[in-house]
Amino acid sequence: MHREIYERLEDVLSGTPPDLAAKHLKQCQECRDEVISMRTQATLVRQLKPPVGVEPRAGFYARVLERIEAEGPVSIWNLFAESAFGKRIAVASLALALLLGVYLVSIERSAEPMVAGPPSMQTCLAPACDAAGAPVASTISAAISGEDAPGVVLSRLDGEPPNAAPNDDMFVNLVTYREQ
Amino acid sequence: MDHRNSEEAELVKRVQARDEMAFREIVERYQSKVFSIIYGILRNRNDAEDIAQQVFAKIYFSIKNFDFRSSLLTWIYKITVNECYDYLRKKRVRKLVYESDFSEEDAQRMEASEPATDPHPPIDTRLAQRDLILKLLSKLSEEDRSLMLLKEVEGHSVEELAQMTGLNENTIKVKLFRTRQKLLKAASRLTHVRPLAR
Repeated sequence: MHREIYERLEDVLSGTPPDLAAKHLKQCQECRDEVISMRTQATLVRQLKPPVGVEPRAGFYARVLERIEAEGPVSIWNLFAESAFGKRIAVASLALALLLGVYLVSIERSAEPMVAGPPSMQTCLAPACDAAGAPVASTISAAISGEDAPGVVLSRLDGEPPNAAPNDDMFVNLVTYREQ
Repeated sequence: MDHRNSEEAELVKRVQARDEMAFREIVERYQSKVFSIIYGILRNRNDAEDIAQQVFAKIYFSIKNFDFRSSLLTWIYKITVNECYDYLRKKRVRKLVYESDFSEEDAQRMEASEPATDPHPPIDTRLAQRDLILKLLSKLSEEDRSLMLLKEVEGHSVEELAQMTGLNENTIKVKLFRTRQKLLKAASRLTHVRPLAR
């Protein structure tokens, strides 16, 4: 659309184009077509004009108060419940939580052979020492005290004698729950 | 224009201070307007009543955020139109065909069946056009949609819109021009399937 029309568009659409715009419209097919389309569109939008004299039923204010009492103040959760964007965020969060859950369960299952063993006794899952009796790079053991109690996986530091007493400073305790 | 020093602003300040009589005054002052805006869009009395209640509930809870940049009517108008579009989106109304839209006048016109000389388009065409224009308006931002409806449906001039919104006239003109172009573009995409108007 050319400047002559663009700057006076509202006047042109209302049917009172200034002389300059009227003259341009006679010469420019492109502007004429666009103005016609915009006029058609404005006519369509005007169809949303309500009929004269429509009123709500008597007692409207009382019903508004009832609505206000029923709704209470808007909480942050309404954002998730009512808006499409909020719903998407909620669904994405749930999906993420589910994925994390699946990931944690799979991690725990892969660690399960290390902690599996007879309950209520300490089980050495990795060789504590090599054939010559020297300490190996790492030792993993699990202590499981009962069916429902957490097992304790102890990762031993390099160079520790295999029969050395556990020292809190030198061990990393990883608490895990035994798979049912 | 400053909307902070008007009589209406005093009323708003009273509502912000939780004066129930002031809120009642706002409801009574604007209920007809709000109801007719909604009815104009949805053409269903029960839905209009329900959404009008929702609009005033929303006004009650959010009036503390009203910042006097626009007039109260402009603010209420925007909330009202947004509530209508929320309703349409939630209900996923594909075809706005309601019995209430089919007036006695329409029935008589159909019986007379003189489409060639009839200045009004037939009812099914009008409903299709209404459906189309609602879809097109849904492609606009809340602000652009309200501005377009205030201009075309409410018939406000550019000067009046500038006063109501607190924007200057040139900004209003530019916004209207861009909105009209967006509507044309949206229509051209849709009219690959159906014509804009018959």
